[in-house]
Formats: sequence, structure tokens, C-alpha cells
Amino acid sequence: MSTIVRATGLTKTYGIGGGAVHAVSDASFALEENRIHGLLGRNGAGKTTLMQLLTGQEFATRGTIEVFGERPVENARVLDRVCFIKESQRYPDDFRVRHVLRSAPGFFPEWDADFADELVERFRVPLGRRMKKLSRGQLSAVGVIVGLASRAPLTFFDEPYLGLDAVARQLFYDVLLADYAEHPRTVILSTHLIDEVSNLLEHVLVIDDGRIVIDADADDLRGAAIDVVGARSAVDAFTADREVLHRAGLGGLATATVANLDDAGRKAARDAGLELAPVSLQQLVIRTTVGANAGHTNGENE
Amino acid sequence: MDDSRPIFLQIAEQLENDIVSGALPEESQVPSTNELAAYLRINPATAGKGVNLLVEAGILYKKRGIGMFVADGARERLVAQRRDRFREQYIAPLLAEARGLGITPTQLAAMIGEEDAR
Amino acid sequence: MTTTALAARPAPIPGPGARVWRIVRLLTANPWTTVWWPVLILTAIFLMTLSIWGLIRLNVPDVGAEGLPGTQYNGGISWIFVYMLVVAVQAINLSFPLALGYGSTRRAFLLGTGLTFTILAAAYALLLTVGSTLEEATRGWGSGGAFFRPFYFATDAGPLAQWWIYFCWLAFFLFTGVYFAAVFVRWRAVGLTLALLLFAAVVIGAVALLTFTGGWGLVGDAIGTLGTVGSASVMLVPGLVAAAIGYGVLRRATPRA
Repeated sequence: MSTIVRATGLTKTYGIGGGAVHAVSDASFALEENRIHGLLGRNGAGKTTLMQLLTGQEFATRGTIEVFGERPVENARVLDRVCFIKESQRYPDDFRVRHVLRSAPGFFPEWDADFADELVERFRVPLGRRMKKLSRGQLSAVGVIVGLASRAPLTFFDEPYLGLDAVARQLFYDVLLADYAEHPRTVILSTHLIDEVSNLLEHVLVIDDGRIVIDADADDLRGAAIDVVGARSAVDAFTADREVLHRAGLGGLATATVANLDDAGRKAARDAGLELAPVSLQQLVIRTTVGANAGHTNGENE
Repeated sequence: MDDSRPIFLQIAEQLENDIVSGALPEESQVPSTNELAAYLRINPATAGKGVNLLVEAGILYKKRGIGMFVADGARERLVAQRRDRFREQYIAPLLAEARGLGITPTQLAAMIGEEDAR
Repeated sequence: MTTTALAARPAPIPGPGARVWRIVRLLTANPWTTVWWPVLILTAIFLMTLSIWGLIRLNVPDVGAEGLPGTQYNGGISWIFVYMLVVAVQAINLSFPLALGYGSTRRAFLLGTGLTFTILAAAYALLLTVGSTLEEATRGWGSGGAFFRPFYFATDAGPLAQWWIYFCWLAFFLFTGVYFAAVFVRWRAVGLTLALLLFAAVVIGAVALLTFTGGWGLVGDAIGTLGTVGSASVMLVPGLVAAAIGYGVLRRATPRA
């Protein structure tokens, strides 16, 4: 399996001096070909800036990016294989949905027009309506349709579910899985609704405040952390020499999210009269990205 | 899907359950990776990893160009495995808990007999 | 890492021409904006002008050799030049983010935009030339009026020269639009305001210079010497300069929400 995206020391800073904002800070990671990658993080964490850097839309302040082994900026050989319809994508004022579907195929050699038509029907997108007049959900659906029908070897989906109802979201996930299975390609799915997509992802990048805080295979993250619940004294004793991601407590009860607890560790916890509860990917991300402060707001001293 | 364990392990376990229960008889065809992925709404590669686990264990085998099938004798082997695991996962903790409550193994056996008779 | 990842995928690769042409297709995906509306509006204004001339003729029985009074000067086709400026600004401002989302390079987008605008200028120049030729043949639609050929656009040097005059002026407005749009896309309203102020300063400076040095006569002489063909050709220079600056500005621009 080959690497399709590689970032090294990638940094994007807006402004200079004291007012400088580090949208992306020293990010280094590699993404493998033909997998579904999740780019997870809170709003404003740097997801969009990172995707703009990877697609050559934004210029890096420092560091290097290789996509298909080459720099993406102004590189037609790379960009011909990329589709990135932003969540906030703007369209020409005079465009109706059909104009989007008419102009897109020229940019994607593997565009599937029949598939696009089918998706328009399934997502119930009104072809004749002006892009400006579309509801949030319909706008998202157009982005999803272009992304899927493009069959671009590297396709980005940026918060694709915004405004979509539960049925349409499920439709997107189902169609993505089915089409990805038939036409393997590299997908980068940016989202902050992690529970919904966690089963689709093979690899996860979590960005927080511009930094990559988790870069791991989704399967490795399952069970990577576990909540240990019980009497405060017992929890404190058990976690004394273990890596704790997060603590919370209420009176004499305490919960600690413990990283990398192996079978022996789990048995030790049970023997100490503690209960174990699984931590979902969403909870893991939240606990990794809110940092230590959350513990204090919950009245816990570390 | 439960959150505490990798999904591919859960896929393998689910297939094993179906083989043990007879829902997937020996020499019958197993759903393809893509079918499993679509049905369970999981990544096809993850489903593939789960299936491969069973191929490596000799529970499933591949017929080139056709698909995956349940191996001959797979059910028997799985049942034997599960009996061992049952001992480990249920009997041992049951005895430990009983001991804590002052129940002897003989009393425990009697309790199980009574419960079963009800 | 080398280009192995690229070579591994046997996807059909579009050539440089296709990369530029698909931008033309993008900018004209809705032909109403670039073709049908301008043509319809032009036709409507033309018909209205003709009927006004007809009304005047009913009330002014003697039409002299100079034609009907007041029909030599009108803005009948001037709006189309301003319309083209707006088309240029809109096309760049709103198509640029979409083109980049589709995976176009800025370079291909700009070349495609330049090609589209050149085609538009050529096509509208042709349309106006046809109107101008008919206007000449019918002696101002029977009224001696000048709709397509007000004196500042007209030439007696034949249809090709006439086409060239329209083409140069259309290209000037389209490419000036590129400049303003590029500045807006890159630096938003602040940049556009500064660019407009700079533009105004240059114009006012030039006017002041000419006024204080008494240079207006020279300008008049120059226009007289150049004629309408020469004057139009001169407009290509600022047009191309504007386009070149716009190109440079947009090469480092980032689409923003």
C-alpha cells in the first residue's frame, strides 16, 4: 500500500507578530492510498485550512506537503486527481444545480454521469433550482453528489452532512461505502460528528488547535481508552502509575479515562472492584481535545 | 457494534456465532466483504480484516473467483474453542463470586441444577 | 518519494488544452449570463430606439442630410461594455473558488478565463459589426440615426476595422474586470477600495497633468491622428496591463468562504 499524502512540519500562520494565528502547527502525518480517512476536530480546529493546504488552495508558511508524491500547489498532475467541494463552497450566482453537473465532468476524467443522475434522484435535488436558493441540506447534497460522481482518486468530503436529514445522511454513508467498495479511492472525510462515521473510517486524524493530536488506525483506537469507574480512593490508587486522559468525579465517585489498558490491567481493575466502561471514538476525541481543563470544570483536582 | 473492541474482531465473532448457531452451515457461502460492509455500515477493509481472521484460522476458505465458504468441520472446532472460553469467562468468575459469598462448589452445582429445573 | 504513486494510476490524463478549455465550459455553463441576456437586452434596446426614431420622424417631417436631430449620439450599445466588465468581475469572483474545488490550477483558470473573454469579445464584436454594416447600408435604418456606429466607434475602413474597434473596447473592459476581480478575490473589500482609489488617483493625476500643462490639445490631436481604429488599439495596452496584473495577483490568491 502506498502513501498518497505526506505532510512534514506543516505550518500555516495567518498574520504576523503578536496577533499571528497558527491555523495549522507543525503537522506531520502520512495517509495511505485507497482508505477512508477521518479528519476529526472541533469547529475552528484547523480542518478546513489543512484540507486547503493539501489541495494547493492555501500556501504553507513552513513545512512540506506531498500528494501523489509531488507538491500540490499549482501542480495540474496532482490536482487533476483531486476533488474538494468545501462545506462553504461558493458557486457562480447564475448557476442552477444543472450547471454544476454540466461543468463538473470536464474536470474529472472518471466522472460517472449515470451515477450523478441517480444520486440527484435519490437525494431529491431540484436540478432547475438556483444554487443560491437551495436549502443547506440541498447544498450539501450537491457537494456530496459531485464528490461521489467525480470518482476522483483523492476525494474530500467537508462536513458533508450539514443540513441533511437522518435519511439523507444514512443515504450518503451507504452510497459512499458501496461506491468505495466498487471503486476504491482515497477519501478524506472531515467531520465533528464522529459517532456517525466512526464505523466507516479506517484511519483517523484528530486536529485540535492546529495540532495533530491523534493519528491512528480506527481499529487501534477502539479499546485504546477505557473508563474506570468506582470509589475515588480505588480509582486514584489504580491510576497512580497509569496514563490518564481525563478525570471526572462526583462526591466519592470518580471516573478516569485510562489509555492502553491491556487484559491484565482490565483484570486488575475488576479485581479492585472497579467497573469498566467502553469509550467511543467520539468520547475519546472529546477527551483528548478538551485537555485538562475539563477536569477542573467538573470539580476534579488532578 | 460495541465501542470497546476493534470492529474486525466483532465481525469475525458475528460470523462465528452464525456458524455455531447453524445459520451459516458448513460448505455454505459467506456474504462477500462488500455485502457485509454495506449491511453493517462499516468500512469494507475492516470487514475484510474480520473475514481474513477466520480464513487464517481455517474456519473459512476461499474459492477463487467465487467467494468465501465455511470450511468442513468449522462448527465443531468453534464449539470446542467456545467451551474452553466458556470455562474461562463464566465458570472461573462464577466460582470466584460464589467463594466471596460463602457458597461452596457443591452448593453452587446444586443451585445450577435447581435453576435448570425451574 | 518519487512519482511512482502518480504512475501507478492509469487514469486518462487531460492535456493542457483540455485543462484550459474546461474553464471556458465552466464560465459559459449557464449561457444566459454570457450570451442570451446580453443579446436579448441589445435587441430590446435597439427596437425601442428604432420606435423612438419612428415617433420623432412622424413629428419632424423634413429629414436632412445629417439625419434626424439628436440621433447621432446615444448610449445604445455603451451598456454592453459595462455589462462585460460586470461579467468579468462575477466570473472571476465566483468561478475561481469552484474551479479550484474541481481541481484546476490557478494558471489554467486564468488562461481559460482569458480565452473565454477573448472569445466573448470577438463574438460580440462580430454581432456589433453586423449591426453596424446593416446600419450603414440602410442609411441609419432609414432615419439617419447611429445606434451601432456612434462617431466615436465608427470607421469607414471596412467591416474588419470596425470589428477590431469593437473587439479592442470589449477586451479593454473585460480585462479591466479581471484586474478588479483579482484584487477583490485576494484582498476582499479593503483591497478593492484601495485599488479603486489608486485607479481614481491615476485618472485624476492624468487629468490634472493635462489641464495644468495645457496638454488636452495634444490628446485631441492624438485622437484625431489615431482615428477610431488607432484609439481603440491603444486601449488594448491598459487592458493587457490590467490582465497581467490580475494574473499576478490571482496566482497567489486563496478562495475564501
